[in-house]
Formats: sequence, structure tokens, C-alpha cells
Amino acid sequence: MIEGADEKHVREVCERFGERIKRVERIAQNQWLLLVDKNDVREVVSYVINRKDWGETQLSTMVGTDERPIRGRFSIIYWLSLNGGEGDVFIGVKAYLREEDLSYPSVTPEHPGASWYEREVHDLLGIEPEDHPDLRRLVLPDDWPYGVYPLRKDFDYTDSPRREFTEEDKYPYRKPPEGTVVHPLGPYHVALDEPGHFRLFVRGEEIVDVDYRLFYQHRGIEKIAERRLTYDQVNFIAERICGICGSSHAVAYAQAIETAGGIEVPERAAYIRTVMLEIERLHSHILNLGLACHDAGFDTAFMHAFRIREPVMWLAERLTGNRKTYGMVLVGGARRDFLDYRKGLIEKTLKRLKEEFREWVDSTLSTGTFVKRCEGVGVLSYRDAKRWSSVGPWARASGRNIDVRRDHPYAAYRDLDFKVPVYREGDVLARCMVRAEEVFESIWIIEQALDQMPGGDILADYREIPARKEALGYVEAPRGEDVHYVMTGDENTLYRWRVRASTYNNFPSLPDALRGNTIADAPLIIASMDPCYSCTERLQVVDVNTGRVTVVKEEELVRGCCRWE
Amino acid sequence: MALWEIIVPVSLVLTIAPILDGMGRKVKAKVQMRQGPPILQTWYDLTSLLSMEPILPTDGLSFRLAPYVALASAVAAATVLPYGGLSPLRFSGDFFVFLYVVAMVSIAYIVAGFSLPNTYTNAGANREMMMVLSIEPVLGVAIGILAINSHSLCLSYMPLHLHASPSIFLAIGLLAYAVYVEGGFVPFDAAEAETEILEGTLCEYSGRLLGVFKWALMVKRFVLLWLLGSFIVLPLTKGFPGWAVFLLQLTAVLAIYFAVVTVEAHNARLRIDQAIRMNTKVFLASLVVLLIASLGW
Repeated sequence: MIEGADEKHVREVCERFGERIKRVERIAQNQWLLLVDKNDVREVVSYVINRKDWGETQLSTMVGTDERPIRGRFSIIYWLSLNGGEGDVFIGVKAYLREEDLSYPSVTPEHPGASWYEREVHDLLGIEPEDHPDLRRLVLPDDWPYGVYPLRKDFDYTDSPRREFTEEDKYPYRKPPEGTVVHPLGPYHVALDEPGHFRLFVRGEEIVDVDYRLFYQHRGIEKIAERRLTYDQVNFIAERICGICGSSHAVAYAQAIETAGGIEVPERAAYIRTVMLEIERLHSHILNLGLACHDAGFDTAFMHAFRIREPVMWLAERLTGNRKTYGMVLVGGARRDFLDYRKGLIEKTLKRLKEEFREWVDSTLSTGTFVKRCEGVGVLSYRDAKRWSSVGPWARASGRNIDVRRDHPYAAYRDLDFKVPVYREGDVLARCMVRAEEVFESIWIIEQALDQMPGGDILADYREIPARKEALGYVEAPRGEDVHYVMTGDENTLYRWRVRASTYNNFPSLPDALRGNTIADAPLIIASMDPCYSCTERLQVVDVNTGRVTVVKEEELVRGCCRWE
Repeated sequence: MALWEIIVPVSLVLTIAPILDGMGRKVKAKVQMRQGPPILQTWYDLTSLLSMEPILPTDGLSFRLAPYVALASAVAAATVLPYGGLSPLRFSGDFFVFLYVVAMVSIAYIVAGFSLPNTYTNAGANREMMMVLSIEPVLGVAIGILAINSHSLCLSYMPLHLHASPSIFLAIGLLAYAVYVEGGFVPFDAAEAETEILEGTLCEYSGRLLGVFKWALMVKRFVLLWLLGSFIVLPLTKGFPGWAVFLLQLTAVLAIYFAVVTVEAHNARLRIDQAIRMNTKVFLASLVVLLIASLGW
């Protein structure tokens, strides 16, 4: 047995590949790094992902790093996670690439879910995955010069290179299939809340195929975080990656650093994080359900969803000082404590929410026209969900029994009881059902957490975080698994930070769900994925809701839209 | 016939239609537990649109003319309807003219939508076409039954000479359905769906032209509701003074409109194929009613 392979699954991989696994390193309690030759990457990764008896295995993230200043080489790591009760295991398959020869066999032909990751390292680091079916630019804009790789260490974050580009040199969109026309959707479209460009190839109203382009909002915050910001500062940037699931990113980042630095988070802080994460899930899910109704032309349910959601925002404001972007998470714990007398407020809000949301679900699902629009629309098969490594409600509605909170418990989830709703239908209705059930589960989780909330400190005391430590942090965000990879650096800064938001794994599967539907359903299907472009593209967003409160007086808002108390 | 007999009803229709829309917005807001905009908001929107220069995406004449054709057709439809004791352009056979000019509004919408190389306007035009083709027959059959029953082809004469029979009640029901669908109310608003196709044909319109087009669609809705209201009120108010009949008509239209808006607020939009399937079923049912009516029941 190879030294370090002290877990059943890791051992099996090592036994299967023998000598070709050069080194095994257990970098955390549930994380193993297997070092292989670059030519073996494809085989090892596809072996783990496609093992039938390991069920819900998936590609959780993939990181490319310019390790030339430390080791003189580039590195790539494919992080695979085992889910669905298979065990709390993350396996990283790592290989080094020499600068003279940055090509290696692509994993995409074996597992399409690797496609975006490989396009990204191709864009940002100049790594060449061989046999990749589609190496068009993913992240970089059209006016970025060829051969300049922003994530390389010799590229300074202040540089802003440009190139002139001509009409012929524009982004190579796919040609529409014979007999179809292009129906462009976005980058600006009323039903898309953020910029994303879809080219629907339609015959009449039927969608035959789809091409898309994203990353209009890429701002390179990973680059800024490396070397320029301290560990604690990055925490606040991480929270601002998303206007909806900021807390998830902040917790995922903090957990990665804590794992790397061996920091023990006080129990009370873990509970506070849990409560904030679930509050975030509540308002995110209700928002998405409301938007689904809006896209189906059912504005009454949309308005009521926002009315019901508003008290959750107020609750967050009372607990943390902010409706959104709570600023509650620090490496090592939480920044502010919950005041005990707020407990009553939380309970009251939740009780009311439970009743109102129950009513909302009942009345929405008894609206025949709405159900007609959702049933059997935008079906994503289990096979497709698996081959794209889809996550979150999008995957659970297609029968993937995965949930990071249960499969890889973090914060206080180990102590809490909750169900993971899974549906088989894979249509828009199933996604709505998953989200609706998760809202009730979240309420139940918060109630338990409040009951069991331990006392004590909220911030761990730690001195120094050692350099060159690698670790993953992961959170079940409202849209699915968020994974942050960190490699620590010198002088209280990161060497490498890789953010992988849930939508990053879901987006590539969208064409499969769109094909065969009509353009009438396209916005609804896209919304049912609950896409979060800004997370995926990693930038800072200002939440529209927060912006608005500063403009409109609160009493006006209250008078205008709600009858709370 | 005096000129005022035309000018008064026409300006009344042009004025009331946007106010009615404003009231609908208010009712919807109440259902949604919002405060909603003031009742005159649609008028404010309209006046500001009418004062703005449009941006033209094409030099085509059909694109520029379509809103005016639509408005003119909708107004023309209004002139053959009875307003209390007054019916501006009544003549035998105006029933056909009514059907024709109501369809003209949609045809203007369709022509405008197809006049541009834009998949959104094309989709809107396409949907409107399918919608019109599937609902106009129902409207025609419904009024046809009423014509058979009253032995008249004049819209202001018909309601006064109906005799009660089962087919009449069914025909009024069919008329209500046709008015609802033809008016483009949710769930039958696929042709102007904002979240799906950016309001279809209207997405390329702006400024004055957009204002005129929206006005035309509002007048069309009002005219359709007035037709339905008249068929309900006039048979019951024979012998009433003209002003009383008019007020009752107005009340009936308001009541119908509020009911329509409430139904609207409680529904999602049907996809065009689903809407067509429903219209087809109703059309088949209307043929059965026509058969009953022709047997004299």
C-alpha cells in the first residue's frame, strides 16, 4: 500500500493504478492529494468519476496554478468528491507540467463536466488540454491579446493589455444547424437578471440547439486576492462575489483557510454561520421561486413571494446590521455574536414565514396555468446531470442525491437533522418542488440551531498560517456546492485562490435542458437553474435590493408593498 | 346624423380606455397586496410617450403606419356599437364590419412584426396570427348565433331583439370567452409576453409610435368589453332612458373588466400551443351551440 492511502476509496484508486500514483498526501481530515504523471490524469480522473458503485461522484473543482516561483513548474489538480453517502472524501488528482510543454490529455472527452475548467486554465494560464472538443475562449474578452495569461505570476494585476480586433476576428460562435435561425437571448434581456448571451438555434419556436457566451462580468478577483490582500481581507471580497449567496462564499473561503492552517472554529461560531447560511438559503429560494412565476407571466405569485421574503431580509438586518452581505464571517469564526434576546424575533419570523410560505406554495401549485407551464418543461435527465457534474437543486430535481451539508458536513450541520429532497422528473416543476421543500428544511434547521446554540467564544485564537498549505473549503450554497481552493503563501497572503461557484458546474448542462423546448420556455428554464452569473464569473455585485433601500424611505417601502404586523 | 354623434362616443372611448387600464392596474395591485400606481398612470405614461420622437429601426412604411392603422381600426370598431340610445354608425351588416376592423388591429400588429428582421417581433407576430386565427371564428360564431336569434345583422339592433333560449346564454358565454382571448388578457397574452419575447412586435417601437400602438390595443380591449357589456345590459333595459342605459353599460363594462383582471392576476401565461389547443376546443363547442341555435332552441 502506498503510504498515506489510509482510506478505503483512496486505497482502491492507489491499488488500481499502483506505481502510477507517485505520492499520496492527506492534506486534511477528508482531503487527499494523489500525485500522478500528467499523462495519467485523464485515466485516474475518469476512473474515479465513472466508477459505477461509487454513485454520486463528481468533479468538484479543478485548479491550475503557476507554481514556477516555488517549484519551477505549473500544476493542475482535479478535485473529485464522493457524495450520496459514499463517504466524506475529496480526492485531488495533481500533476505538474513543465513550462516548455504545457499540454496534457484533456479529461473532457471522458467527462464533459471538465470542459469549462480546462477552457479556463487554457485562457488564464496557457495550459493546453489535448483533444478538448471546444477550446474557444471562456473567460477572457475579445480585446485581450493572445499569449498573455493573467493568472501567471509574472503578470502583474495592474497590467491591462489590449489588442485591436477586427470583424473577422470576433468570437467564433457556432454556425446554426441547417434550417434554423438564431434567436439571440441576452446579454441584456428582461428575463435575465445578469448579462449572459444565449444563441438559441430555432426552427419556428422550437429550440434545436444552443450556443452561449458568458463571463461578461469577469473582473479577476482571484488575481487581486493573490499577494495583494491579507487572509482576512479576502474574506470580505469573497462575500462580495455574489449579491445573493455571499455568506456561502465567505464561509467556504474561511473554511479553506481554517483547514489549511489547522484552526479550530469555536462551536458557537459554527452555529452562527449555520444560521446565517440557512437564512441566506431562505431568501434565495423564495426569490428564485418568485422569479420563476414572473417568467411564466404569473405576477401575483411573484409579488407575494417578494412580500413573504421581505421579513427574512429584515431579520438578517436585525441580526447582522445588513440585509445582505452580512460581514459575519472571519477566518477562525464569526465577527459578531447573536444577542440572546433576538432569539424571540427569529422564532417569530420563522413561524410567520412557515405559515405564509405554506399558503403561497399551495395557492401557486393549485394554479393550473402555472403548473401547465412548468410540467415536463426543460427536462434534464439524470445521465446529463451526472455527466456535467451538476449540483444543487438543479441536480437534485434530476435525481442526483447529493447535498454537501449531509455528505461533507461542515459548520454545525453534523449535529442537525434535515431531509434532502430529491425528485426524478428533472423538469421545472421538480426544481420548484425541491426549492419549496428546502425552504421548510431550512426553517427546521434554524429552529434546531437556535435550540442547541452553545455558548462560548466566537473567534478562534490563531497565530500564523503556515505557507504552501493546500486545502478545500466547501458549502452547500442555495444553488449547490460552492468550492474554494486555497494555497497559502508568505506574509499573511494567499498564493492561489480558486473560487468555484455552483452555477459553474450547472451552466454547461443548460443546453441539454433547453433542447426541444420552445423559446417561450427558455427564460423559465434558465431561471429554474437559478443561475448566478456574477458568482460564476467572480466579481463584485451590489445587490439591487440593498441599493434600493437607501433611495426609498423605509416607511414608504413598508406602506407600499407589505402589511407586516 | 349630426357630427357630434360620432365625435362624442369616439372621444369618450379614447379617453376612457386608458383610465380603464389604470383601474385594472390598481385592482391587480390590490390583489397582489401592493399600493399600485394612481388610476391616471396609464394616461401619464401615454402622454409622455406621445410627446417623444420614436426611434425607427427601419425605413419601411408598414412599420410606421401600423400603429395608426391599428388605432383607426379600433376606433372604427367603436363607432358601430350602441352607447345608450346612441349608435353613431349603425347600419344593417355592421356586424361584419365590426369583426373585420377588430381583426385589422391584429393584422396591423402582425404586419409590423413581420416588417423587421428581428426574431422577437417575428415571434410576436407569429403568435398573434395563430391567436387571431384560432379565436376570430369563435367570435364570429358567437355573434352569428345572436344574429340568428335576433334576425338582424346590426350590432345595436341585435341585443334589443333577442328572445330567451338556451343557445343565447351559451352564445353570451362564448362571446365572453372570445372577448377575453381577443383582448390578450393573461393567460392569453403570449403575443405580447414581456419576459419571453420582450413584448413581441412592440419591442422595436418607441416614443409616439409605441404610444399610439398601446392606445390602439387599449381601445380594442375597451371595444370588446363594451360589446360584451352591451349584450348583457341592453336586453334587460328595454324602455329605459338612454342615459340610464349608458350608465348601466358603463357599470357592466367596469364590473366585467374587474372580473377579468382578477382572473388575470390568478393565472400564469399559457404557451401559444396550449392556448391554441384550448381555443380549438372552444371553437368545436361553439359549432355545437350554433347547431342548437339553428334548430331554434
